[in-house]
Amino acid sequence: MNQEKRPGGLTALAVINFIFSGWNLLGLLGLAAFFAFVGRIQTDDMNEAQRTQFEAFQNLGLPMFIFIFALSIIISVLLLLSGIGYLKQKKFLGWGLGNAYAIVTIVNSIISGFMFPSEMGGGFHIITMVGLIYPILTLILLNTTFKEDLTN
Amino acid sequence: MRSGSGLVYLLIALVFGLSVAHILIMPVEQLMARQIRKTGQTDPLIIRNTIINTGYPISQWILGQKTMKEIIEESAAQQMSYSKNPNQAYTAGQMKTDTDFDPWTRFLLEEKPALLSAIFLVLFFGMPFVISFLAYNQVSGDIQSHGLRYLLLRTERSNIYFGRFLGAVIFSTVVIAIIVATITFYLGVKTRIYPAMALIGWAACGFLALSILMVPYIALCSLISASVNSPFLSLVLAKVAIAGVLLLALAGSIAWKPAKYLLYALPWGWQSHLLHPAPTHWAGAVLACLAYTALFLMLGYYRFEKRDI
Repeated sequence: MNQEKRPGGLTALAVINFIFSGWNLLGLLGLAAFFAFVGRIQTDDMNEAQRTQFEAFQNLGLPMFIFIFALSIIISVLLLLSGIGYLKQKKFLGWGLGNAYAIVTIVNSIISGFMFPSEMGGGFHIITMVGLIYPILTLILLNTTFKEDLTN
Repeated sequence: MRSGSGLVYLLIALVFGLSVAHILIMPVEQLMARQIRKTGQTDPLIIRNTIINTGYPISQWILGQKTMKEIIEESAAQQMSYSKNPNQAYTAGQMKTDTDFDPWTRFLLEEKPALLSAIFLVLFFGMPFVISFLAYNQVSGDIQSHGLRYLLLRTERSNIYFGRFLGAVIFSTVVIAIIVATITFYLGVKTRIYPAMALIGWAACGFLALSILMVPYIALCSLISASVNSPFLSLVLAKVAIAGVLLLALAGSIAWKPAKYLLYALPWGWQSHLLHPAPTHWAGAVLACLAYTALFLMLGYYRFEKRDI
C-alpha cells in the first residue's frame, strides 16, 4: 500500500478530469436538445456553410445519435471515476479506468475522423489534435510519472 | 510534472497554441474546400487574399502600427463594402499589394509564410500570460512548507535558485518546440500552401524567437517566487505583473500618451522586434530579453540569498 503524500500532478489530473466530465455532460445535454428540436429549426436564414453543416447533423440518423450519446456517457463516467481513483491513488479506479478513458477517447477520435463528414468535424484537422492532447497526456503520465503512485 | 504546475502549463500551452493555429488556418481550409468543391482546384490569388485579410489586422495591432480603434474602423468599412457587393472583396483589384505594406509587414506577410507569421504574432502576445502557470512555483512552495531546509543540507541556495530557473526554461522550450513543430507539420502536410523549406526555415526562426521571449518572463516569475511565501500569491502576482504592465500602458496611453513607455518595464515593448527583418532590430530585442532576464534573476537571487527560509 502506497501511503505517501499524493503528488500535486495527480490532484491536478483529477480536477481536470472532473471539469472535462462535467463539460462532456453539458455537451450531451446540448446534443439531446438539438435532436429533440431539429425538425423545428428554420434554415431559411442560414448561409451555405451553416446549412450544409445542419443537414449533415440532420442526416445522422437515430442509431448513430444513440451511439454518439452512449459513447459520450461512457467517456464522462470514465473521467469521473478515474478522477476519484487518482485522488484515492487506486490501482483499478485510477490507473485502470484512466487508461481505459485515454484509449477509448483516442480510438473514438480516430474513428470519428474517418466516419463523419468534414461538416461534422470529420477528417483530420488541427482541432482533432487539440482533442487528443489530454488523453495522450493521461496515457503517458499514468504509465510513467504516476505509475508508482496508483497502487492502493 | 509531478508537482502539477508543469502538467497544467503543458495542457494550457498546447491547447492555446493549437487553438490559435486552428482559428487562423480554418478560414483558409474552408475556402480551399469550397473552391475544390466548385471548380475542382484552388485559386492561389484568392487564398493569398484571405490569408492577408486575416493576418494584416493582427500584424498591424501587435506590431503597434495601428490602434485597435483604427483596425475596427477599417474592418467595419471593409464589411460594409463587402455587404454591398459580395463578389468585390474576392477580386484581384481589392487585394492589398506590396506597396500597401510597410517593410516589416511585407516581410511577415509576403516574404515569409503569412499564416505562420500570423500564428507567431498571436503566440507572442498570448504566451507570456501562459508561462506563469509553469514558473510561478519555483521556490515559493518549498519556502512555505520549509522543505528547502532539508535541501540546503546537500546543496547551496544558488544551485536551487538557478537550477529551478533553468529547469523551467528547458521545459518551456520543449513545449514551444512541440507546438511549433505540430503547427508546421500540419501546414506542410495538410494545407500545402507554402514550400516545405520556407516553412521549416521560418518555423525555426519563430521557435527561437518564442523560446528567447519566454526567458525574461520566467526570470520575472523566479523573482516573484523567491520574494513571497505562498505559491498561490506568487501566481497571482505574476499574472498581475505581466498583464498589469500591458493593461496600464494601453489604457494609460489613452489618457496620457507617455504612459505607453510603461510597456518597457517588461519585454512587451521590445518583443515583437524578435520577428523584425533588420538584424539590428532582432539582435537588439534578443539583447533586451537577456538584459531583463539578468536583472530579474539577480534581484530574485539577492532576495532568495538573504531571506529566512
